[in-house]
Amino acid sequence: MKKILTKSLVWIGYLAVLLLLPQFFDSILAVSLFNQMAIAIVFALSYNMLLGQGGMLSFGHAVYFGLGGFLAVHALLLIEFETVYFSIVYIPLLAGLVGLLAALFIGSFSTRKAGTVFAMISLGIGELLAASSLIFVSFFGGEAGVSGDRTYGPPLFGVEFFQGIEIYYLAAAWVFVATLFMYLFTQTPAGRMANAVRDNPERAEFIGYSARRVRYISFCASGFFAGIAGGLYALNYEFVTEETLNAVTSGRVLLMAYIGGLGYFIGPILGAVILTLMNSLLSNYTDLWMLYLGILFLLTVLFLPKGFAGFIMMHRVAWLQRRIRKLVLPYLATAIPAMVFMATCVLMLELSHIEDESISVLNMELSASSSSTWLGLLLIASTSMLVTRRTLPALREAWESANHVADEPESKS
Amino acid sequence: MFEVLVFATLNGLVTGLLLFMLASGLTLIFSMMGVLNFAHASFYMLGAYFAYSISLYLGFWPGLLIAPLLVGLLGALIERYGLRRVHQHGHVAELVFTFGLAFLIDEAVQFFWGPDTKNYQSPDVLDFPLFTLFGQEFSAYRGFMIGISVLIFIGLYRLLTRSRVGIIIQAAITHPHTVANLGHNVPLIFMAVFGVGSALAGVAGVIAGPVLTTFPGMATVLGSIVFVIVVIGGLGSLAGALIASLLIGLLQSYAIASNLGVADLLNLFGLEFSRDHLLTDLWTLTLPQIAPILPYLLLILVLIFRPTGLLGNREQ
Amino acid sequence: MSILTLNNVHKHFGETPIICGVNLNIEEGERHAIIGPNGAGKSTLFHLISGKYPVTEGTISLRGQAIQNLPPYEIARRGLARSFQVTNIFPRLSVFENIRCGLLWKMGYGYSFWNLLGRQHDLNTAAHGILDQIGLSQRADYPAGELAYAQQRALELGIAIASGAEVIMLDEPVAGMSHSEAENAVALIRRVTEGKTLIMVEHDMSIVFGIADRISVLVYGELIACDTPSNIRSSEKVQEAYLGTVTADE
Ligand SMILES: Nc1ncnc2c1ncn2[C@@H]1O[C@H](COP(=O)(O)OP(=O)(O)OP(=O)(O)O)[C@@H](O)[C@H]1O
Ligand SMILES: [Mg+2]
Repeated sequence: MKKILTKSLVWIGYLAVLLLLPQFFDSILAVSLFNQMAIAIVFALSYNMLLGQGGMLSFGHAVYFGLGGFLAVHALLLIEFETVYFSIVYIPLLAGLVGLLAALFIGSFSTRKAGTVFAMISLGIGELLAASSLIFVSFFGGEAGVSGDRTYGPPLFGVEFFQGIEIYYLAAAWVFVATLFMYLFTQTPAGRMANAVRDNPERAEFIGYSARRVRYISFCASGFFAGIAGGLYALNYEFVTEETLNAVTSGRVLLMAYIGGLGYFIGPILGAVILTLMNSLLSNYTDLWMLYLGILFLLTVLFLPKGFAGFIMMHRVAWLQRRIRKLVLPYLATAIPAMVFMATCVLMLELSHIEDESISVLNMELSASSSSTWLGLLLIASTSMLVTRRTLPALREAWESANHVADEPESKS
Repeated sequence: MFEVLVFATLNGLVTGLLLFMLASGLTLIFSMMGVLNFAHASFYMLGAYFAYSISLYLGFWPGLLIAPLLVGLLGALIERYGLRRVHQHGHVAELVFTFGLAFLIDEAVQFFWGPDTKNYQSPDVLDFPLFTLFGQEFSAYRGFMIGISVLIFIGLYRLLTRSRVGIIIQAAITHPHTVANLGHNVPLIFMAVFGVGSALAGVAGVIAGPVLTTFPGMATVLGSIVFVIVVIGGLGSLAGALIASLLIGLLQSYAIASNLGVADLLNLFGLEFSRDHLLTDLWTLTLPQIAPILPYLLLILVLIFRPTGLLGNREQ
Repeated sequence: MSILTLNNVHKHFGETPIICGVNLNIEEGERHAIIGPNGAGKSTLFHLISGKYPVTEGTISLRGQAIQNLPPYEIARRGLARSFQVTNIFPRLSVFENIRCGLLWKMGYGYSFWNLLGRQHDLNTAAHGILDQIGLSQRADYPAGELAYAQQRALELGIAIASGAEVIMLDEPVAGMSHSEAENAVALIRRVTEGKTLIMVEHDMSIVFGIADRISVLVYGELIACDTPSNIRSSEKVQEAYLGTVTADE
């Protein structure tokens, strides 16, 4: 009973955050950021249905997203030219159905095997569709893409979806519903068997389930939700290009899900939020943001194999045992020099990038051409790096003692 | 018609052999470590860029030697300090790691060399037509590319089948545990193979750079095609990789050279369709247009009907 | 009436014959043990019956219906469950989930994506019941991959019996267990296979002779004897071909 209560509270909290966010940050920029996040959340969650829950590594998930997006703009165009007339509120559903249809077809042959074969088929189909989209100009609009206008549909309670904030509430509603359904899916027999097949497809067959059919179901569901995300994308930007279904988008969603943490339901949500934030914030300040993103990604893969969600969950025991406070100091001791190290590296990268200008940091003019600047920075970087390495063992020890559980006595002999 | 065929064949051969240089390294790495290295084409790009920078100071020929060595060294280091670390987290982590690496290398190349195309030139010595056929010239540099590729294939083949190291590598491909139990240092072999594979990609980059232009997108252009080849040829099979490389090279080259289209096909059956129709794009489709998607079509068909690839015997 | 019938079953791996013309009738409700030296093909025979490998030649029928070359899930749905010699569980799922997955098909959930597992009272009670039986209730929420070896073996057994199948095949269920663990496991096997048909591969002769109604002896892919324990014990042919080698080994 208590469990159900906490769960409902989490969902209510999620809804509240979705609804209240624009109350606190209401600039156009913030709202457009929230829209991107909303789309990314649905997309990343749908991706995790494949990889995290079903064990299918896909390099072509943008196919369903993009097809949904293209269908959605075409639906907008049909509304605009009065071929059909319905509220744009339903467009994400339509886009989802297109994603589902595509997944029904593609999954019928690609889910036979997981592993490399599946990954390669998904890659091939992704490339195939991306290349074809440039050929079939009348539907995909070639390099230029297709654009529509979301304001021609019948208004819903007087809302004409003219402004970003109106789209945000529409997206928020869809995000909430989609998240809820994707979560519920994990709690059904099909969802649980997807985990089982991920872990051990052979054994799943000996308890009555065809691994292929189990994968197929997850695959179709995942295509459906990716399509919804694509539909939201089209509504938000009113403009869809080949990029929405090519390898760049497929790669981005993999990144989000992985950085967030594949093993946890909220992992992809975290990943979507973090990456969208980084994308838009960093790209405002520096040309090198893609480089930083690449570095962040590699560092995550190397040092946080379970993603950010996994990192948070690493502290569950310490939290439950009320020992989390013992970790604060060791963390600070490592984090501060690590931050200094990273900041210095960033500074050096930036300095070398904007040759013969100078950057002012903390009221100091750093000139890229003076060797003393470089020497100083190198010195700071190496010292902070050394300090970080020195404090690491202490942190590890603190973590281990905080997370230690006395194993209950049990006959293990 | 005939001259088109001859030139398409020659061009297909050049592309095919170039692809093989990439694919051979990739398939070696894959069959030993079970990792499909997404960053393989990025090493190819690095080869071109390194060679370009070297050529600015020392000319083309030293670059041909030094650049692949540098790339190989980098590859070995990445294996040692990156890949080996993620290995313990499973195959997905490894794949994702190489995927991120490809992304990072792309960005790093732009950081160091900028986003524009580099004027990386073939050496003057080879700047003459090797022969002229039907009034068309076939440049000596292309001949040189064919020569190098064939040499590498022969060298690699002999190394793998004749030398002690090669035999250990072959054994490690199919039975890594047995080889480890025999007392060979498998991690070291892995590192070496990764290094050599990357170096091969580097060579390909060095010699392809002047022809296919040296620009930050050059890895993306070839990246997935090389994957396709390795899978079609059969994972772990060098001969399969060679056949698939040539197949893809020729297929694309013929498709580009021909100007057949769906319209011609329909005309053959006496059908004709009006131009302005929803499916216009379908009727006006021509072979050169679909050349870029042919490899992927082939990939999907192979994976569906013969998941082990043409010559492979391992299903992953 | 025989519930499982093997008729002239052959299996070759490439050129190598591993199973060479096995004929076997298993009666409904009997406890049947298959013994034989290492590499005799016992596990392979299990794999053929349960559908992991296709047969090269011959027929296998379950309740008179041919099942050879059907996929494993079809055979499982017809009421044949098995465990594996090498532990074969769902390592990242919790122990409870492992058992619950074993129950799903039998309890009619199929590929449902509209029932919520948490709400299925009967299912969850059944899963807890099986956990109690195999003595893993304490560990219900542990990831199965983190269990100790003997516990994983118990779970392996639990998944097999969860399906409620009529025919249960166990491949060396107690191998690698300590003496007391093995005793517990045997008692458990007796209890949960009450009224069902049990086919079991086992090397420990005291267990085999204690539990089996009939014993088949497989040597180099051929069934050289199939009889009651006492007859097997006194059969010279078996002594020579199998028991002799065992005593010589020891
Ligand atoms: N997939 C396979 N491919 C080739 N040979 C196989 C395969 N599986 C088993 N074998 C061979 O078949 C023979 C029988 O193996 P099997 O595992 O059935 O023996 P077993 O009687 O179960 O032995 P044990 O008592 O050791 O478990 C062995 O020689 C084995 O090497
Ligand atoms: Mg066996």
